[in-house]
Amino acid sequence: MANRTGSMIVIVILSAVVGAGIAIAFTRSTAAQTTRPSRTPDGKPNFSGVWQANNEAYWDLQAHEARAGAVTQPGVYPGYEFARAPAAPVLALGAAAGVPGSMGVVEDGGEIPYKPEAAAMKKENGANWIDRDPELKCYLPGIPRAMYMPYPFQIVQSTSKIQMAFTFANAARTIHLDKVEPPPDDTYMGHSVGHWEGDTLVVDVTGFNGKNWFDRAGNFHSASLHVVERFTPITADAIRYEATIEDPEVFTRPWKIAMPLYRRLEPNVQLIEYPCIEFAEEFLYGHVRKNQLVKRWEGETMIIDITRKVPPGDKFFEWYRK
Amino acid sequence: MRHRLLGVIAIAAVVIVTAGLLRTARMPATDRGPASKTPWGEPDLQGIWTDPYQTPLERPAQFAGKEVFTDDERAALDKQRAAIPRRDQRVERGSERDVAGAYNAVFQSVKPTGKRTSLVVDPPDGRVPALTQEAAARGKTENEYRLALLQATETCKKKEAACNGGTYLPPSPKRAEMPPFYNTGRINRNDNPEDRSLTERCMGAVLPDFGGYRRIVQSPGSVSIFYDTGQGQGWQRVIPVTSSPHLPTSIRERFGDSRGHWEGNTLVVDVTNFSPKFSYRGSREKLHLVERWTRIDATTIEYSVIIDDPATWTRPWTVKQELTRQDEQANRIYYEPRCHEGNFGLPTMLRGARAEERAFARGEGPDPAAKDTATDFGNEGGTDALTGNGGGIF
Repeated sequence: MANRTGSMIVIVILSAVVGAGIAIAFTRSTAAQTTRPSRTPDGKPNFSGVWQANNEAYWDLQAHEARAGAVTQPGVYPGYEFARAPAAPVLALGAAAGVPGSMGVVEDGGEIPYKPEAAAMKKENGANWIDRDPELKCYLPGIPRAMYMPYPFQIVQSTSKIQMAFTFANAARTIHLDKVEPPPDDTYMGHSVGHWEGDTLVVDVTGFNGKNWFDRAGNFHSASLHVVERFTPITADAIRYEATIEDPEVFTRPWKIAMPLYRRLEPNVQLIEYPCIEFAEEFLYGHVRKNQLVKRWEGETMIIDITRKVPPGDKFFEWYRK
Repeated sequence: MRHRLLGVIAIAAVVIVTAGLLRTARMPATDRGPASKTPWGEPDLQGIWTDPYQTPLERPAQFAGKEVFTDDERAALDKQRAAIPRRDQRVERGSERDVAGAYNAVFQSVKPTGKRTSLVVDPPDGRVPALTQEAAARGKTENEYRLALLQATETCKKKEAACNGGTYLPPSPKRAEMPPFYNTGRINRNDNPEDRSLTERCMGAVLPDFGGYRRIVQSPGSVSIFYDTGQGQGWQRVIPVTSSPHLPTSIRERFGDSRGHWEGNTLVVDVTNFSPKFSYRGSREKLHLVERWTRIDATTIEYSVIIDDPATWTRPWTVKQELTRQDEQANRIYYEPRCHEGNFGLPTMLRGARAEERAFARGEGPDPAAKDTATDFGNEGGTDALTGNGGGIF
């Protein structure tokens, strides 16, 4: 991850932190999720409802150990990669600012088969995460990334169309189960055409504009991306989600990710908007304000003094005695 | 001097050309029939829908007392409206105002004249009811601020319509103040992203919406609507069909919180919990909508909405429009709402403003306070009797 030295700092929208706040607990109940027949009237598995991945793939599709911060710096043992410390963009957030470890979701050995030049680009992407990841700018997340971001999404399953509504950026996709003409232009979210193979919904996704990433680790693809997704019911409340990823410009062969998607079982669950266009404005445009909110900008680089004032009564020793 | 909105560029969404709008007319007669049901027995609202006709929200004064046009009147209006040059009108070559015309009439949709003279059906005069005293006072405060920002510009010097109520004066100290209410529209200030209109920030869409296309997909208990509207500013809502109460009042959403139920063949949707950061004709967090979606035949949905806000209007009012089913196969809808992803205009406008301030400080340019960046974005040739202008795209 990026090594930010001195006070040259770029700040970040801590999606993970905010994402956790999205799961707002209500005490009232609704009927929305309480009736969930395992099949639709036409006999297909019933995927309608609110779903969410529950893993760490949004940080990194590949297996990884936990990190001290979303952005880290060398710490006091400069040569020891395992001894890095959180860097300034997240330093004030303590233990909430780290990255959880993961077994990874990449099948067949866990490695993403990058071509050599693409592997170098991936590494560079990771080192420049804050400046390059489209998620931080609130750009439409693309497929498959939208499926495992740390926000709920809703499936509205009909017979000839399946609509998916995503919390993040109010993104949406339509899966066409019927005949449809190809899209007029490449898109962030792709063009999805689906069909049923027994109880498995198979979705062929093409028409990408190549501007998306797969995760916050810099894993990326080009406009030649072709995704084949498979949604297979495990139970009425869990789906096995698989995505085969093919992109001859970036990878040496097709590869696959797989994970469960879980139904959100809160009886009152509904998507609560995450209007991140507005949230990202300071990040994107703060440097062209007349009176800047941060200490100062050098070009598009934020210069921030992180001052964490401890209010009276909340000093560590005072807290310890409480 | 005026500068032009370069950004907010997802042009595709606005190129809603009339060709294809009347596709339904070519649908085979067998498609017309009684309203259908979904396989699970609910009224079927699914498909791609739009209002293919131009109907003004409020009845223009010249049509007072007239509820519907005759076919001859519609034909005459179509002919008259088609002849308007709109943004193809050129002015002095090389001027900023002429360059602004690069967003020419190609980007404007000119729909055929509709049957009714107003979308507003209640009150019966087809006009939005009077504002409450509170709302009028709010509007006055907003307008005073807007005019203060404008008072040192050519617009006021030349006494143009945008400066009505204002006077040509030296720059106002109000230029250093934030607007009296969270800004949603276009004001003559470029200090912050928040000074630009919500449209320029790619957050222009609001509910209710009477333009663009809707794709409706249903499942038992949910009705999803994707709105392809504005310039790539489309958005998605999922209406739960439920008797459960609205969200807690502490949760405010840009498009409100929807709760639907079926009354016979009609989906009735109650919408509350709107955000104070968005405005529909001056109504913000107290906006309350009751929408009614009724499939009246194979190719038509009747949509009506009661619009209420006791803090803004002296009485509730109702808009009605008929939405026509569009060809599913052509998949014209879903021009991806990627205004934000291509919004180079917003930072460029702000950067330009900073450059002008620096130049002025060096004594090398005009006073930025004398420049109007708010009231004009091109030329409109002729007046459309239905839209009241040349059909500006913002």
